[in-house]
Amino acid sequence: MSLPLLEVDDLHVTFNTASGPVHAVDGVSFTMESGDSLGVVGESGSGKSVTARALLRLFAITDDVRIAGSVRFDGVDLLRIDERKLRDVRGGQIGMIFQDPLTSLNPLMAVGEQIAESLRLHRGMGRSEAAAEAVELLGRVGIADPERRATELPNSFSGGMRQRVMISLAIACRPRLLIADEPTTALDVTVQAEILLLLDELRRSEQMALMLITHDFGVVAATCEDVQVMYAGRLVEKASMVHLFDRANHPYTEGLLRLVPRFEDAHTGRLHPIAGQPPITGGGGSSCAFAPRCSHAFDRCRSEVPPEVAVGPQHLSACWLAAERAKDATEAGRPWKRDP
Amino acid sequence: MSAAAARAVLEVSDAVVEFDTDGGRITAVDGVSLQLSTGETLGLVGESGCGKSTLARAILQLVPMQQGSVRLEDTDLGSLSPRELRRMRHRIQMVFQDPRGSLDPRMSVTALIGEPLRVHGIGDRASRAREVAEAMELVGLPALVADRLPSELSGGQQQRVGIARAIVTDPAVLVCDEPVSALDVSIQAQIINVLDELRDTLNLAMLFIAHDLSVVRHLSDRVAVMYLGQFVETGTASEVFTEPRHPYTQGLITSVPRADTESAARLQTARRLVLGELPSLLDPPSGCRYRTRCPYATDRCADVEPPPDLLDGHHAVRCHHHRAITAGEHQPSSKSMRG
Ligand SMILES: Nc1ncnc2c1ncn2[C@@H]1O[C@H](COP(=O)(O)OP(=O)(O)OP(=O)(O)O)[C@@H](O)[C@H]1O
Ligand SMILES: Nc1ncnc2c1ncn2[C@@H]1O[C@H](COP(=O)(O)OP(=O)(O)OP(=O)(O)O)[C@@H](O)[C@H]1O
Ligand code: SF4
Ligand SMILES: [Mg+2]
Ligand SMILES: [Mg+2]
Repeated sequence: MSLPLLEVDDLHVTFNTASGPVHAVDGVSFTMESGDSLGVVGESGSGKSVTARALLRLFAITDDVRIAGSVRFDGVDLLRIDERKLRDVRGGQIGMIFQDPLTSLNPLMAVGEQIAESLRLHRGMGRSEAAAEAVELLGRVGIADPERRATELPNSFSGGMRQRVMISLAIACRPRLLIADEPTTALDVTVQAEILLLLDELRRSEQMALMLITHDFGVVAATCEDVQVMYAGRLVEKASMVHLFDRANHPYTEGLLRLVPRFEDAHTGRLHPIAGQPPITGGGGSSCAFAPRCSHAFDRCRSEVPPEVAVGPQHLSACWLAAERAKDATEAGRPWKRDP
Repeated sequence: MSAAAARAVLEVSDAVVEFDTDGGRITAVDGVSLQLSTGETLGLVGESGCGKSTLARAILQLVPMQQGSVRLEDTDLGSLSPRELRRMRHRIQMVFQDPRGSLDPRMSVTALIGEPLRVHGIGDRASRAREVAEAMELVGLPALVADRLPSELSGGQQQRVGIARAIVTDPAVLVCDEPVSALDVSIQAQIINVLDELRDTLNLAMLFIAHDLSVVRHLSDRVAVMYLGQFVETGTASEVFTEPRHPYTQGLITSVPRADTESAARLQTARRLVLGELPSLLDPPSGCRYRTRCPYATDRCADVEPPPDLLDGHHAVRCHHHRAITAGEHQPSSKSMRG
């Protein structure tokens, strides 16, 4: 078998803060192949963004951060190449989109020029070739009248159009992996629908791998074949999207699925929030990080980190009750859909 | 007048709000009417900039209306002097999106919650302390946090303080403008439950604004869909959400990504129902406001503004063709189809 496109192995990210260390990412491993689509979900602070940023070592110079593990992209460990080589990868082989496109676009430069600059840098194009390709790219992401709009500054675009510009910039260098961190969270649902469809089409037509970070399972369902659930810096469950909705295994995943009102349900009584809050210091303990909030927790959960257990095809769950719960799920159907 | 109108605690008639902007005059709220009864929640949805917050602020008399009236418990708020209005204000209160930004960082939890009582001169010191303690209990704030400052509270606790402040004066109407959108998912669920319980225990009339349609559906008895300053469809939550008639409502609802296996296919449909970009309020389309994005638009849509068409019950739709569309007799025009 050939090498996977991305192979993340035992990734750890620790910030040294004034109030002590924060284990934002605590032993994350996963792989992605070309054309894969992977959704990453979890509550705020679970380590989704830090995981994505660690892949490209995208941290502020003021961050006192330690990264361990390996991130092999096309066989090369990105954590061990020098900054100059890594800069070629960022915005080249790996593209990125963030929630707020304004912070990632230069407000003083016409959008066409920004795209052209990236094309010259990463694809070695000449000035006029790059300018023409920039217009072409803006058209591809659904911007009407791209020749004219290429000459405009970012602030003359609406939120949704700006996110399209951001996507055209991210795909300009034909990345093999696109990381999108909450790309539609700030947008209206109608605009979100367009952006999600666009990402999906690009992934299919370019055989690009897509890693999409979101807190919305609906967004994952619309765009991703696989999903992984993060809690306190760890991956607690990984599965195909279809399998997860059918057979959520980890109590945390079950909690996440039950806590949001589902559009197709009319008012069905109160919602079921997960009691308590995620630990602010991230992971790093010698227990299941979810134990303090878990209604199924028993002694072992508080004294040993649960390993990832296979509970179905391509389905892993890091819970001491994983096997037992998998059996119950098979017998009882969708546990999280049942009312208590 | 219908029976519902007779019991209405809040009645907005033909509200118009205009703003002067750099580009010219815009009509942010364009002839909106609504009624709200005790114990009832009206959900308000629509794209960013369609006028939801402006309508809410006009109802609270925080922005002037160029036309129309707001009646609260049979008092026309527009006819009151500023002084009389201040005296009425404790009967209609608001919960804001950003809990932190709406709380004075130097005040303790009890001072913050007691503030509206002091401002309105309600009760004496002892009775106020009782009201504050009661409000804290209603929104689920432990007595433990009574003396804390906003910065010492979690996001969810901050929003509970915001809600406690709003209900402590015993209002008849609660206006919630995106009360959960700044919160993380699990805290959202807690706050939604708080609002749900309060509505029942205090028999509040609630206007609930949110961009998350699942949340609106969960909380609302009735729903109004707003587009460029107008209500394009109103009805019970189940009428609007399960039998949407207006092409815009249909597009909006189909756009909601649901956690199921049909999700991607549904978005393809959504794309065919909402075309292109939101027009500018500086240059709103003639006739039907939605026609520039509507796949069903005809010449008539450009020439004539569709009046609200009342179906059975309270379901009203502002579209010339919705009956024909529902009967399958009016197809999308092919030139507007993409892809
Ligand atoms: N620069 C930093 N310095 C210190 N701690 C940090 C830094 N960046 C992130 N953290 C911490 O790391 C943890 C994980 O943060 P991360 O941003 O990855 O969360 P997330 O899952 O993306 O959440 P959200 O849904 O809110 O975006 C949090 O506890 C956060 O406070
Ligand atoms: N004080 C003001 N002066 C000028 N224009 C304003 C003012 N307040 C609002 N507007 C404009 O009125 C329109 C409606 O704005 P409003 O804030 O009511 O929208 P909204 O539906 O609440 O949007 P969102 O979902 O983004 O909160 C927008 O075009 C806005 O720019
Ligand atoms: S009136 Fe015409 S343009 Fe407006 S929604 Fe109906 S069909 Fe579309
Ligand atoms: Mg994040
Ligand atoms: Mg608003």
